[in-house]
Amino acid sequence: MTDVLPSGLPSGLSSGLPSNQGWQRVAALADIEPGQPFGAKYGEREIVLAVHEGQVFVLAGICPHAYALLCDGFMNGAEIECPLHAAAFDIRDGKCLDGPPGTPDLAIYEVKVEGGDVLARAKP
Amino acid sequence: MFLKNAWYVAANDHEIGRKPLGRVFLGEPVVMYRKEDGTLVALEDRCMHRHLPLSMGQLVGDKLQCHYHGLQYDGSGKCVRIPGQDMIPPNAKIRTYPVVERYHWVWIWMGDPALADPDKIIDYHWLDSSEWGARSSYLHVKANWKLIVDNLLDLTHLAFVHETTIGNSALVDNASVKVTRGPAEVQVTRWIIDSPAPPTFVKAGGFTDNVDRWQIIDFRPPAFLRLDVGATPTGTGAPEGSRVGGIGMRNLNAITPETESTSHYFWGQCHNWDVNNGKLSEMLLEQIRMAFSEDVAVFEAQQRNLDMIKNPPQLDINADKGVIQARRILDRLYDEEQAAIQRPQAAE
Repeated sequence: MTDVLPSGLPSGLSSGLPSNQGWQRVAALADIEPGQPFGAKYGEREIVLAVHEGQVFVLAGICPHAYALLCDGFMNGAEIECPLHAAAFDIRDGKCLDGPPGTPDLAIYEVKVEGGDVLARAKP
Repeated sequence: MFLKNAWYVAANDHEIGRKPLGRVFLGEPVVMYRKEDGTLVALEDRCMHRHLPLSMGQLVGDKLQCHYHGLQYDGSGKCVRIPGQDMIPPNAKIRTYPVVERYHWVWIWMGDPALADPDKIIDYHWLDSSEWGARSSYLHVKANWKLIVDNLLDLTHLAFVHETTIGNSALVDNASVKVTRGPAEVQVTRWIIDSPAPPTFVKAGGFTDNVDRWQIIDFRPPAFLRLDVGATPTGTGAPEGSRVGGIGMRNLNAITPETESTSHYFWGQCHNWDVNNGKLSEMLLEQIRMAFSEDVAVFEAQQRNLDMIKNPPQLDINADKGVIQARRILDRLYDEEQAAIQRPQAAE
């Protein structure tokens, strides 16, 4: 499996939205290991994918606290933990559950799986 | 902060003999020597009478005699002779420390002796194996021990600190790094797949084509860092665990806090090819020594800043993910140790 290299840019700063009503293939399902966050791109935005109980979730890939890449983080059940300051987010709704005070929630993406592909779309 | 209930490297085995060696560990002075039969002894390095370091004294048989007024202590720390005085008070006893010899290092336990289990000594067998060529060395560092731990867990500094020695910017830019963690361990793994072998590897491994390279850093608390680096011909399955037709090295580090702002840095370098070639072992040791002296200059400058500015705000970057997991383990173990120390007192 190949890891996606960090761009160093916070998410949401570029307007590189893909076409197809926003749906874009972001990963092969086979690339995502259960229990391991997987980094990918949605247009130019960093995203992170995770599988929990057979379902794929896609979230903004950069922790809003100090801009760490969440694909370097750790999965604890349905939580993803930031590798730097241990902010924890629920991968199902992006809610910040723990971590440095004031850490906002993560944006989440709509997801569908077609064939072996994971497609994602930013929520309006 | 120090973790007391842990084994630390105190010395190279050949450093301790019939001349008392005084050294400070975790802020406590310790004197070490060997009895006539070779048994190791580690005692508090302070005469109970007027506090002179006993390491300034000399051995009389198996007893250590203070340089000041000639009091003698046996290997159990008991005062057995006071010149000009027949009666020796029963409380005339100094502390002893458990010591064990392993992997050509002498290991010491500074905490509760009842917990000193030699099975908990971290594995450094590469330093003492016929399958590896090995050399070890020592650096005294005027910096806090955790600054050294940080350095070895984040090798992206190679491109900057070691630009002219072992640095290689490709290692920072073109490789992916994976951090895995357990309750008392962190691994930082970097694979560089199907890339040209660097000149030193070509020379050592005779590679004619591209290689798969790895750098695997293993951290165990308090301050043990074992680096596994090497290369095999690309496509031969090294990432899946099959290491054939290549070369491997171990860079082995054991840091022992001396004080809050100084450290003993024990380290070794091992190679798994041409293992009986002493010149090769020396050459590899020398390369790393040059690189480490560049690191020491960094540690000591960091410490000077930290001495002037207490608890400055600190920025963490993506490359710190391994460092931060290790620091979190150290903080947790420290809290647990402090709680265990305070619990019996609270019960009284």
